[in-house]
Amino acid sequence: MNSPRRPASLAETINATLADLMEHDPRVVLLGEDIGRLGGVFRVTRGLQPRFGKDRVRDSLLAESTIIGQAVGMAMSGLVPICEIQFDGFAYVAANQLTTQAARIGHRWNGQITPSMVVRIPSGGGIRGVEHHSESNEGLFARAPGISVACPSTAQDADQILRYAVGSGSPVVIYEPIRLYWKRTQVQGAEPARTPTAARICRRGSDLTVATFGGAVPVVLQAARALSPQVDVEVVDLRWVAPLDTDLILESVARTGRLLIVHEAPKFAGMGAEVAATVAEDGFGTLKAPIRRLAPGRTQYPPADRENDYLISAEQITDEVLVMMK
Amino acid sequence: MTLAPDRRAEVPVVESSSGPGPADDTRRSLLRHMLMARGVDEEAIQLQKQGALDLWLSCQGQEAAQVGSALAVGSGTTIFPSYREHAVALTRGVPPDELLAQWAGRTFCGWDPQRHRFFPYTLVLAAQTLHAVGYSIGCRLQGLDSAAVVYVGDGATSEGDMSEAMNLAAVESAPVLFICQNNGWAISKPATEQMRTSVAARARGFGIESSLISGQDPEVVYADCLRAIRRVRTEKAPYLIEIRVSRIHGHSTSDAQELYRSRDDIDKARASDPVRAYADRLAGLGLVDSGWLDAVEADVRQTRKQLVKRYA
Repeated sequence: MNSPRRPASLAETINATLADLMEHDPRVVLLGEDIGRLGGVFRVTRGLQPRFGKDRVRDSLLAESTIIGQAVGMAMSGLVPICEIQFDGFAYVAANQLTTQAARIGHRWNGQITPSMVVRIPSGGGIRGVEHHSESNEGLFARAPGISVACPSTAQDADQILRYAVGSGSPVVIYEPIRLYWKRTQVQGAEPARTPTAARICRRGSDLTVATFGGAVPVVLQAARALSPQVDVEVVDLRWVAPLDTDLILESVARTGRLLIVHEAPKFAGMGAEVAATVAEDGFGTLKAPIRRLAPGRTQYPPADRENDYLISAEQITDEVLVMMK
Repeated sequence: MTLAPDRRAEVPVVESSSGPGPADDTRRSLLRHMLMARGVDEEAIQLQKQGALDLWLSCQGQEAAQVGSALAVGSGTTIFPSYREHAVALTRGVPPDELLAQWAGRTFCGWDPQRHRFFPYTLVLAAQTLHAVGYSIGCRLQGLDSAAVVYVGDGATSEGDMSEAMNLAAVESAPVLFICQNNGWAISKPATEQMRTSVAARARGFGIESSLISGQDPEVVYADCLRAIRRVRTEKAPYLIEIRVSRIHGHSTSDAQELYRSRDDIDKARASDPVRAYADRLAGLGLVDSGWLDAVEADVRQTRKQLVKRYA
């Protein structure tokens, strides 16, 4: 049990939220590789199979298309499956069932059924993972109409997003940053999001907006603190990359006049491009400086020894902000 | 390169029924649905030629397999079709105009999937096999009737999802009847180049009981599917039936099968038309007379007229 002063980690919160959802809704079933007996490779589902039984916490076959394909069928039958894809790099194997099937069922059925299903994907680097274990492929599903994609960075956000997703009536993919699973940092003075699908201002500032999400959020906040009081940085945690809360982004940029986007996936055709295009189209008149993006180049995620060179550091962010403020 | 079939694991083809056969009413019902399906299919091809439909995937030559299986599994089982199961749809009560709607570009599914327990067509091959197994497991978890039937063609059996679905159904002991209509062609790729064993033999490798039957005689199909669905329900386990059928037309109205298929093979498929053969047989047995046939023909003509009115 957590002591009152010890904030719950992201992993513990997701575990507690899953348990609560299962407790209150018999339609919710969990499905994934090693999530039952083992409690998941990250132990996010620890203790749930003994509590809810093997029927509802299902150790799936080691086949990602099987996980999503059968979840589509289960959703058609009236259940609300919450799937886990063990690592981001295995999401590609499930991509056909997700994009050509799960995303389209509601439309294909002319709205007669609105199946809710959730796909949790532990993702991102900074954990010295082997090949395919550190990727950020949120952009892949963000561009698939019919799928919503969330990238929470805090335990509170993950809880809110998960609760929303199970009742949303369409598939939601949630990317969980692996390197934040066990962090216990209390979020100080954070403003709550306006709605479950909204972005959130996690640091108020007046000079420049940094839009970011997922595992990059704490790095951006660290850079913002380092820049204070020289530069007053506002940090927007997008929380969802599809659909994007463009209103909040435009409001923030209208106040600060400058926009930097930071993310962990490659810059090329990454989510930053969509955010930048939105502000260029609808907020150009509010800009005092060109929009900038900080993200890795169009290269594959490197072996662990070189991942610190690949990931965007707090120093790179402070340097970029200082250039933008000139 | 054409590899010789691997005969070590071969399953014998059942060509004729050993039992007493279906009741006379069922036999007439089989023929009536086959004649209607043929008429709707012919009209759809005409409508496509006139530009009223964008595409049509003919099921001509597969009516005995489709009507026989659809009548045998009954109206209570949920069906996950591929995209050529028009005779199954019509037998299930899907109105012909609703069946054609998606091929006229009006919708992705023209009928009410819940009402007919006949789910929308799935155009990405074999994707629906996993849905059927997941649906069956989902129904079982909720204490609902969990028997499901999923249709695939021979081409789709090469997809990974088909193998994954067979394995999942086997290890979960899911009551799913897999019906594979093997028409000998995956568009232009002949079955001999697609597989070394029959699909029925392959199913046994996954621990799924199976049979291999001729799709020429609807009574053979009906008898085997009836036996199989009963077995699926009582043993709560999957089963696979491979039905050998002939493809009379190309894969779709955009296909040109003359480019890759011999004249002789196409002629053979036309000559072995199961609809004509069954109509002749029932007439020969005195189970249907010219009055009965005329009444069905009038019904088919009326249906075709309505399709023309709606789409042409």
